[in-house]
Amino acid sequence: MKVKKKDFIKGMLIVLSGCLLYLFVVNDAFLYKQPILKITRVKNSKTDKIVDEFKNRDQQTSQIITGKILNGNEQGKSFEVHNTYTWSRGMDQRFYTGQQVFVNIYQKGKGKTISISHYKRDTYLLMLCWLTLMLLFIVMRSDGLRSIVSVILNFVLFLIVVQIDVMWNITSFFWIYAISAVIFTALTLMLVIGWNKQCLVTFIAIFFGTAMALLLTVAAMWLTKDKGMHYEALDFATQAPKQLFLSASVIGLLGTVMDAATDIVSTLFELKRSQPGISFKKLFNSGRQVGKKIMGPLINVLLLIFFAETFTLAVLYFRTGNSFGYTFEWTMSLGLVQAVISGIGITLVIPSASFLAAVALRGSSR
Amino acid sequence: MTTMTFLTFILAFLMFVAGGRNGIYSFFSLVINFFLLFITIILIAGGVPAIGVSFFSGVCILAITIYMGNSEGSEADIAFIATILVMVIMLLLIIPFEHLAQVQGFSNEDSEEIEAFNLAIGVNFESIMISAAVLSTLGAIAEAAIAIASGLQEIIEQKPEIELSDLRRSGRNIGKQIMGMTFNTLFFGMFGGNLALFILLYKLQATFGYYLNSKIFVGETMLVLYASIAVIMIIWITSELMVHKLAKQRNR
Repeated sequence: MKVKKKDFIKGMLIVLSGCLLYLFVVNDAFLYKQPILKITRVKNSKTDKIVDEFKNRDQQTSQIITGKILNGNEQGKSFEVHNTYTWSRGMDQRFYTGQQVFVNIYQKGKGKTISISHYKRDTYLLMLCWLTLMLLFIVMRSDGLRSIVSVILNFVLFLIVVQIDVMWNITSFFWIYAISAVIFTALTLMLVIGWNKQCLVTFIAIFFGTAMALLLTVAAMWLTKDKGMHYEALDFATQAPKQLFLSASVIGLLGTVMDAATDIVSTLFELKRSQPGISFKKLFNSGRQVGKKIMGPLINVLLLIFFAETFTLAVLYFRTGNSFGYTFEWTMSLGLVQAVISGIGITLVIPSASFLAAVALRGSSR
Repeated sequence: MTTMTFLTFILAFLMFVAGGRNGIYSFFSLVINFFLLFITIILIAGGVPAIGVSFFSGVCILAITIYMGNSEGSEADIAFIATILVMVIMLLLIIPFEHLAQVQGFSNEDSEEIEAFNLAIGVNFESIMISAAVLSTLGAIAEAAIAIASGLQEIIEQKPEIELSDLRRSGRNIGKQIMGMTFNTLFFGMFGGNLALFILLYKLQATFGYYLNSKIFVGETMLVLYASIAVIMIIWITSELMVHKLAKQRNR
């Protein structure tokens, strides 16, 4: 009965923390410099039908939004602003009473006018973060903490690396990301496994797998003269696109290769613990068995992640009269190549992790 | 030969070397999944309701990934049921969140790429985003479900008289290891996938407040969070289903 009471209190605390966080984020306008408008009234005018040259039917509606400014110098003042939205909401949005939006305020003659800058989304993002953390806590207790710490540390490091890249602005910035990838690996492994022989073996296996996969990729690109690789289709590219693509591939590659290598090496170390007399050959084969099992599902994880990113753009291409081949080439091929490169990394890390772990464990038995 | 075809051949060859016949099976399951996803996009673009199509192809992808790997028998069935359950739960979570956060379609940062297009193309971008979010979590949950179900099955086989509470604890232990590494795969996948975006946002000198509210950043972060939630749920549900199965067997 006592345990149940404790669980009840814990549950109440979790719910309470969620409510408090929600109340705080909904009312956090004072933290922002940019003015925020809270919509108090929306008046929709009539809807127009529109048809484009590909016979796509859509509708466009304009609305007049009235609201009050929540923060800054103009706090408390009312403004009116126009907004149009389409039925498909590709880049626009329909506003409702009660929502909050960021606005820009302009001086116009004697009065002031505003324009909508962007929608306030922090509430939903933070509530989802809260939900993730709470679930992690409920299912995993304090064990989940370590993985969160490693993720946050990596994220901060990643932002620092991006900052270094922008500040130095060197031509071969690929090396910044390659070196930081090595640091990411070392840091994550030390946090997850701890500083010991197992960590060292895993690290070397990951390094080897990633480097070999990258070498193979570059060689393949050189041999085929980058045929069909539309680096210029890379979204948001502000630097040399091919290097950017390779840098992104290294980082994406790292996560999965790390996953596979840790699985294999930790299984082999566990095996050695339960059967101290196990032979080199048996260890190596067990490692390959583990690798065989995880290979397919792991590559699948990446395939789905990369593919999901292309959904919106691919639909846009298809609806505007582009062929299957053209759409594939310009929206999906880069993501797919990234998934294939990661797959190559996984297949290479299986034998190298099995071999290295088997060698390391044989040495210790003498 | 294009670079992609060449790299795909290298992958097929290496999968064969690393996994023999199983490697080839795995390779073909990837190819089938690719075509399923491609057909899904074509159907959505053709006007079929996005969430319905994605649910159907999601079930197919899960079945292929779980059964065409080398898992067989009752633990594969449990992994499959658990993944379907989690997919339904994720749909129920993602639909309201996507509606509230309005991260569908394209953002201001995208504008250069889509300048030439008229975006009023008569498809519901919100439901496309929901489909993409649900499908992107499936790979991670299939992997975790297989690992936990087969790990617990092995424990049951080695120690048939194990207490139910011990089995539950083992499930959590296996889950802990899987989770740490799956989180890495997901987050590095996101960093890698969005490296160019991060550089651009940094160059635009975006403030912290902008990150928290911008359509593209919030959208991408929510994708990773959904996948994390799905992985946590699958660890819990798969372990519970395995415990339930063992309890039922004992009662007989």
